[in-house]
Amino acid sequence: MLIDTLFHPSKIFDELSKENAETMASITRFAILIPLLPPIFSWIGGNQLGWRLGGSEPVFFDTTGSIVFSLFYFIMLCIGFISTVAISKWMAKTYGAKSSLSLHLSIFTVICLPLVVASMAHLYPDVFFNVLILVPALVWSITLLYKGLPIALGISSDQGMLMASSLVGWLLVAAVSLLGICVSLWMNGAMVILGI
Amino acid sequence: MKEESQQFYHDEVVTRLVQFSLIWAIVAMFVGVYLSAELLWPELDFGQFWLSFGRLRPLHTNGIIFGFGVSALMATAFYTVQRTSHIPLFMPKLAWFCCYAWQIVVLLGGLSLLAGWTSTKEYAELEWPFDIAITILWVCFGVVFFGTIARRKIETIYISNWFFGGLIIVIAMLHIVNNLAIPVSIDKSYSLYAGAQDAVVQWWYGHNAVGFLLTGGFLGMMYYFLPKMSNQPIWSYRLSVVSFWAFTYSYIWAGPHHLHFNSIPEWVQSLAMVMSLILLAPSWASMINGIMTVSKSSVKLHNNPALKFIVLSLAFYGLATFEGPMMSIKSVNVVSHFTDWTVGHVHSGALGWNAMITYGVFYYLVPRLAGRELYSLRLANIHFWLALSGTILYILAMWAAGVSQGLLWMSIDELGQLNYTFNDIMASMKPYYGLRLIAGLVFLSGTILMSFNLFMTIKGKKTVKVKPPTIVKASEVAA
Repeated sequence: MLIDTLFHPSKIFDELSKENAETMASITRFAILIPLLPPIFSWIGGNQLGWRLGGSEPVFFDTTGSIVFSLFYFIMLCIGFISTVAISKWMAKTYGAKSSLSLHLSIFTVICLPLVVASMAHLYPDVFFNVLILVPALVWSITLLYKGLPIALGISSDQGMLMASSLVGWLLVAAVSLLGICVSLWMNGAMVILGI
Repeated sequence: MKEESQQFYHDEVVTRLVQFSLIWAIVAMFVGVYLSAELLWPELDFGQFWLSFGRLRPLHTNGIIFGFGVSALMATAFYTVQRTSHIPLFMPKLAWFCCYAWQIVVLLGGLSLLAGWTSTKEYAELEWPFDIAITILWVCFGVVFFGTIARRKIETIYISNWFFGGLIIVIAMLHIVNNLAIPVSIDKSYSLYAGAQDAVVQWWYGHNAVGFLLTGGFLGMMYYFLPKMSNQPIWSYRLSVVSFWAFTYSYIWAGPHHLHFNSIPEWVQSLAMVMSLILLAPSWASMINGIMTVSKSSVKLHNNPALKFIVLSLAFYGLATFEGPMMSIKSVNVVSHFTDWTVGHVHSGALGWNAMITYGVFYYLVPRLAGRELYSLRLANIHFWLALSGTILYILAMWAAGVSQGLLWMSIDELGQLNYTFNDIMASMKPYYGLRLIAGLVFLSGTILMSFNLFMTIKGKKTVKVKPPTIVKASEVAA
């Protein structure tokens, strides 16, 4: 199933459109991996190799700092994922799409999987390397969003396009909010000393 | 005497302005791409002053804002004001004068920037002879626009005209006040304001140029063309009017957020931050109005690149108008200020909102002006994906670069010494600048594709003649 979600997403979206409880259950069990794996990879990479933020030497966080960072990352991903599923379910009414929660949860699990796999790049925590790996994964996920949404939700490709664009708008706002929240917390004391 | 209602709309001037806008888009975006290459390989200036970053950068911004942006705004304002007033343009020869004289001013202004003439004020770099020329032309633009509205056959002034009207009035006010200066020679003048006052006036101008030109003017486009393309009335007309007045009132206060942590009073900075946060409400009201309008539409998107571009532009409009107020919060601004995050923010608006909505409008407008189908739907669809991927790649590269810069600049050791030198940090930015160069090339190639597509659509065709509809008053119908 995991292989199919990555390499044959159309097949999975077709299956999801039938709202088969078994199919949805087999996909949603991967949902927990979405907020869990990236912080784990990031924690391992940060501890073993240090983060390369662009400066000449890698930056190592102390033990507490790295745990706090990973935990915060996990919480943010949970909020981001759950809110996106909730917003998609809410938007479905506007676009005349199916609005079952488990269906939307399954769809976004499939859409996010390329990003989760690409988050393995955190094991080598160089910011540029991560951008290089995560950007194509992001393009893949966005493609899945535009292509998969109308199939799985049983709406026309036109309505799917509109709904996907609205969700892209939400995701961009969520991403920049995350950036703003992190920076704000950093400046208000929740910072880690960048030691060399 | 010929009845006005029997005359044709003056659309030839619209066609010409669209063509000029496309030319400026290619030129100014190419300069932008060249600049991003110079940041990677500074030797690309070949030791020539006129090719240096400092001279090319204002050429890029002025070319985009005044060449591409204003030409597109003039075109769409002239097109929409005729149709929403049911009357041809007032003083059409003056409209033609605006069209050609504006291009000459932008061209000569651009050359003057390369020659090193500059007032040093961002987005207002042009020296006093050009400032006077712009003032005269802007008044002419206003005469044509408001003259048409004054002679309208429809009682209501449609919402797009309020936004275009706001653009004309506010930009005139900002331009004149900010450029008050004492000339000392043909190529040099000194501002009437000094020190911190000069900075406050400059950013009152700078931010509201973004507000009333790049936001308000383009919202004028959105409010006319989105309902037309969706074949739907605007979702909530009342909301559009409320958002116009709230937008106009709150935008004008927000400029000093560009001067956080500078030598202006603390309360001015805080007031600007609060007003910037309030600004989110009217900005998003227009976005919601647009999205809800199009969501009710039954128009097919797969063969409608125009609508696809406009829908996507609304998503980026939502991002940019959220990100701006967020970056005005002082605890965020302390990191983002003077970093590439700001550059990313500007381009999420410029590429994602301004360029994409303009592209959508041009894809709608040009086939109608030419009276034939778009030359290639396939090219337009390729352009859509190039524009989307170029914009997202640009934003992500600049977010990563900006946050790294901000945090590394603020990183100090236990003795209070900087952990990283400025040179080290800038040297480490090369990969991000490489990504930005690729993003710029992708976006520019999409723009070139579109220009070719629209050129082939309009090639050999004269602008279609359209008559205003005949209005029959209700009292006459009853009689």
